[in-house]
Amino acid sequence: MSPISSIPAISPDLMSQIERLPGMTDATAPTALPTAMPADSSSFSSLLGKMVSEVDAQQQSSAQSVNALQSGANVPLHQAVISMEEASVSFQLMVEVRNRLLESYQEIMRMSM
Amino acid sequence: MIQILTGIQNTAAALDAEHTRLDVISQNIANAHTTHDVDGKPYQRQVVVFETALQNAMTGNTASGSLPPIQIAKIERDQRPPVQVYDPGNPEADAQGLVSMPNVNIHEEMADLISASRTYDANLAVVKNARSMAMQTLSIGRH
Repeated sequence: MSPISSIPAISPDLMSQIERLPGMTDATAPTALPTAMPADSSSFSSLLGKMVSEVDAQQQSSAQSVNALQSGANVPLHQAVISMEEASVSFQLMVEVRNRLLESYQEIMRMSM
Repeated sequence: MIQILTGIQNTAAALDAEHTRLDVISQNIANAHTTHDVDGKPYQRQVVVFETALQNAMTGNTASGSLPPIQIAKIERDQRPPVQVYDPGNPEADAQGLVSMPNVNIHEEMADLISASRTYDANLAVVKNARSMAMQTLSIGRH
């Protein structure tokens, strides 16, 4: 979680370092990037947190319906199975998002300066 | 809640409806020889009537752009008269030895059972397909 949420915080630092490289002496482009993007980074991590909590809620509701089914409540079988499927697919989506994020993070870390 | 599987709400509603239909058919078959129902008359065959959930669509309960799912409108009694069978030994027989048997035809019920079961299967196939579509979509760009 922490390496992913730090990506937006790293990029402005990198950009300012690139601007201070010896080859780029002209100071005519004072595009002063904000050194920190609090709103952006917080929204990104909150987005991620929201996604995780949503997936968790789906898992819990699926567990609830399976429990209800097994304890003899009037829950049709297909409803429990469908909620299990939904939970499984949204978990897969979350894992996929995490994989893509880690992949791009590692791609950036491998970048040679 | 995110809609991760497309059209799954309608399919779930259809599965519910078909489930009820299967219940009613099993009740009909179970009562095929019930000559003395709760009201004292022979059992009358029950028929399920489906409808689209128009009420929900009109009050805006469903998401905009989605089709209204189906639901059970009512469970009606088949109004055909009871079948008269000559069986003088039956305690329910009248003076002529005729017994009023339920208007349930086992062959009709079996045909209905097959139809309901196949419809249930078809809806399950939709669920399976939606799941495999979602998994295929998630594998975009994976190497």
